[in-house]
Amino acid sequence: MGIAKRKAIYVEYAQAVPLKYAIDPKECIYLTKGKCGACKKICPADAINFDEKEKNLTLNVGAVVISPGFSPYDPTKFDNYQYSKLPNVMTAMEYERILSASGPTKGHLVRPSDHKEPKKIAWFQCVGSRDLNKCDNSYCSSVCCMYAIKEAVISKEHAGKGLDCAIFFMDIRTHGKDFEKYYENAKNKHGVRFIRSRVHTITPIPNSDDLEIRYIKEDGELVVEAFDMIVLSVGLATSPETVEFAKTLDIKLTEGKFCETTTFEPVNTSRKGIYVAGAFQGPKDIPQSIIEASAGASAAGEILTPSRNTLTKVKEFIPEINVINDRPRIGVFVCRCGINIASVVDVPGVAEYAKTLPYVEFVTDNLFSCSQDTQNTIASIMKEKNLNRIVVAACTPKTHEPLFQETLSNAGLNKYLFEMANIRNQDSWVHKSTPELATEKAKDLVRMAVVKVALTEPLKEAELAINQTALVIGGGISGMVAAKSLSKQGYVTHILERSDKLGGQALSLFKTGKEENIQNELSKLVDDVKKDKNIQIHLKTDISKVDGFVGNFKTVLSSNGKDEVLEHGVTIMATGAAPIIPEEYQYGKDPRIITNLDLDKKFITNDPMLKTLKTAIFIQCVGSREPNRMYCSRLCCTNSVLNALELKKINPEMNVFILYRDMRTYGEKELLYKKARKEGVIFIRYTLNEKPRVVFEEDELAVIVKDHVLSRPIMIKTDLLSLAPAIVPYADDKLAKFFKVPLNEDGFFVERHAKLGPSEFATDGVFLCGLAHYPKPIDESIAHAKAAASRAVTLLAKKKVYVSGQIAAVQPANCSSCGVCISICAFSAPSFVEKGPFTGKAEINPVLCKGCGLCVSSCRSGAIRLKGFDNDQIFSQIFAIK
Amino acid sequence: MSDWQPKIVAFLCNWCSYGAADLAGVSRMDYPPNIRVIRIPCSARMSPKFMLASLRQGIDGVWVSG
Repeated sequence: MGIAKRKAIYVEYAQAVPLKYAIDPKECIYLTKGKCGACKKICPADAINFDEKEKNLTLNVGAVVISPGFSPYDPTKFDNYQYSKLPNVMTAMEYERILSASGPTKGHLVRPSDHKEPKKIAWFQCVGSRDLNKCDNSYCSSVCCMYAIKEAVISKEHAGKGLDCAIFFMDIRTHGKDFEKYYENAKNKHGVRFIRSRVHTITPIPNSDDLEIRYIKEDGELVVEAFDMIVLSVGLATSPETVEFAKTLDIKLTEGKFCETTTFEPVNTSRKGIYVAGAFQGPKDIPQSIIEASAGASAAGEILTPSRNTLTKVKEFIPEINVINDRPRIGVFVCRCGINIASVVDVPGVAEYAKTLPYVEFVTDNLFSCSQDTQNTIASIMKEKNLNRIVVAACTPKTHEPLFQETLSNAGLNKYLFEMANIRNQDSWVHKSTPELATEKAKDLVRMAVVKVALTEPLKEAELAINQTALVIGGGISGMVAAKSLSKQGYVTHILERSDKLGGQALSLFKTGKEENIQNELSKLVDDVKKDKNIQIHLKTDISKVDGFVGNFKTVLSSNGKDEVLEHGVTIMATGAAPIIPEEYQYGKDPRIITNLDLDKKFITNDPMLKTLKTAIFIQCVGSREPNRMYCSRLCCTNSVLNALELKKINPEMNVFILYRDMRTYGEKELLYKKARKEGVIFIRYTLNEKPRVVFEEDELAVIVKDHVLSRPIMIKTDLLSLAPAIVPYADDKLAKFFKVPLNEDGFFVERHAKLGPSEFATDGVFLCGLAHYPKPIDESIAHAKAAASRAVTLLAKKKVYVSGQIAAVQPANCSSCGVCISICAFSAPSFVEKGPFTGKAEINPVLCKGCGLCVSSCRSGAIRLKGFDNDQIFSQIFAIK
Repeated sequence: MSDWQPKIVAFLCNWCSYGAADLAGVSRMDYPPNIRVIRIPCSARMSPKFMLASLRQGIDGVWVSG
């Protein structure tokens, strides 16, 4: 990013995969001036090829998924912020590097100009977003509020109480799952200051590196304040290269230069067969990008179903040599890793030492143990020397264990007869200054690996057939889209719906922000699903029992007192959510007080009363963002803006007010907010402490609200009051228990990983989409549904899975049937044997066991062993430490 | 006391702390070499017996991380 200098040969970043060096062609003096070339001479692996050129490849493909991403907005144009002149004014991306342990200051929080620890830092929001003055980006970048809050909190955690963090904003948009709680904590627990003000200018303070700003507080007071650093929360923009790329692909862009998509096909570009995922589809955060990535894969999979597996190669099966009862014959391979290990650790010394260890029959050292030719050599030595256990002393098992295990398999040895000694990541790389002690440590680690591998036995991997049928729970848009996607990819799918109708919440929605008629699209979808031969619909049906696990679920579907058992391999939870019935603002006491969904219904039926309205008021956050429901319902701001615009369409003279706390029209929905203001919709901000009040003046309905500009209460008489109620999930505890999936305190399902696993559960074979995960608009629900289908297909398409051999097993003779293992296992792997000689003893289902060892260490009778990490193996490692 | 260095055994969870120890290497951090890591599949695998065995073996400190 240009914050610190980098060498001409570099690793992209510490976690890069693959973790390989690259040459910067702009800086390499061999490539620019034809001099040097020292790297080529010195590289022991002969990996440098200066002649490598860009190549054009022609690939024949049936579908393309594009994810070109975004560029952070370049704030150089903001001359009043003097970003390019003032070193202590930086972008949030640059600041991210300052906070990073692998950044230029190694994570030490100092400002660039003088390396002083800052005492006061300010963040300016919406730099390059929601702005038509300094730039042309009128959209909201969606992610900056949250990242600024995160940076402020991390800075505070890092620097302690002495650091003051202030965020200058227009609206705080924390509309993601669990974001509102994070925002509240930032304010109340960490003391981050939030100031609603757009700062015009940054002025350097003479004779110091400090920065002065002037801003106007909400009450109109002018404040002059100095900061040590100012972070510009730059927005997300599509780069000119990507715009060019889009032209080449002949796909349409939106006004904000993002890829044009529709609500009902959110990952389809305007060109057939080309799909889009990530920030190019519209500014978005990581979970939403991951969802779209899976959705894009699903969309491509749907049209490529006939060609699935036509290009796969079948791996040759190599029979396994039986080594049981054979004396261990261990081969030790010590890796130099070029100079990564050998420059610190005395590799020949370690190899010599390894020869003295028990059962070791063969030792050698390799330059690069992981290279293909060394792999072949290892395999032939294994056969030649009749080795039955292998130790590789090298980098780390986290990255290379699977590779070496494959070498074992290829040589006919069970892959578990293997152990790695970590002499690079946890030795040579961290003990450079003490090479002798590092060598001692390497010897210890090799000895520990040798004694452990000697006690290792071949392990079997249980095979599990995946039933090719899917069950989708919920017949709303998400459920139907997921089912349709699975069906198109060739899988028989059952949709379960508790009501008597497909459609869910969408049945009462009018129009999308892109002017699409929801009822038309919905009935098309319902028709498609009904006609689909692969889809079976079960209406008015509940689940009364679930047995089994990934690949082999047996679910009892109950309808009208009749039970039917469905066998299926995967389950998708699309159980949805619904708006609350408001308990405030006099809801239910007057027909003029309705909810947004009621208003949508009036639009659908073209209610004549709409034409009679002279004034309409919307109140936002009815039940959302409150202490007992601390989350944002995400879709209500856009919904109210759309409805306000629709009213203005019916009667442009109508007085329309939206009473809000923060407008959260994220992404390009901001354009609707802008349009609403242009059309004359009046936005009045209120706070949680001073909520609007609904009063009846004789027959007239009125709302009293404190105007944020005048700072005094005003009364607005109205003909209609539309409330934006919170969206709450069904929180079906029984269902959650049936499928062993968790609910959070708000009643939403908890996904496998908040960022990286938004469409599946930690429980294998169960997937998640739609409002049951978190409130979201239709386009996001559809993307999520396709994503869940995609994740399910990755499992279904395997037909069979093999589970790890490193799992727990009960020795029934020692089991005292206490049931502790059954009660503590998070994966429900142990159970009591129901018949046969060991009835009443515990047994462990190898398919469900994750091999964590909790039952092993909790077993009072010592009856459970963890294969691969057995007691005697761990003891032997301990005893091998000198 | 000046030359004395404790011998420490670390039982690290494969999924978090063991990965973090790897990352310390990738980031080229420096720490004293008197630590021996035993990789366990999860900190749930840890048993008091391993700690006692370590101490009886003459190890000065046991670190469990997960």
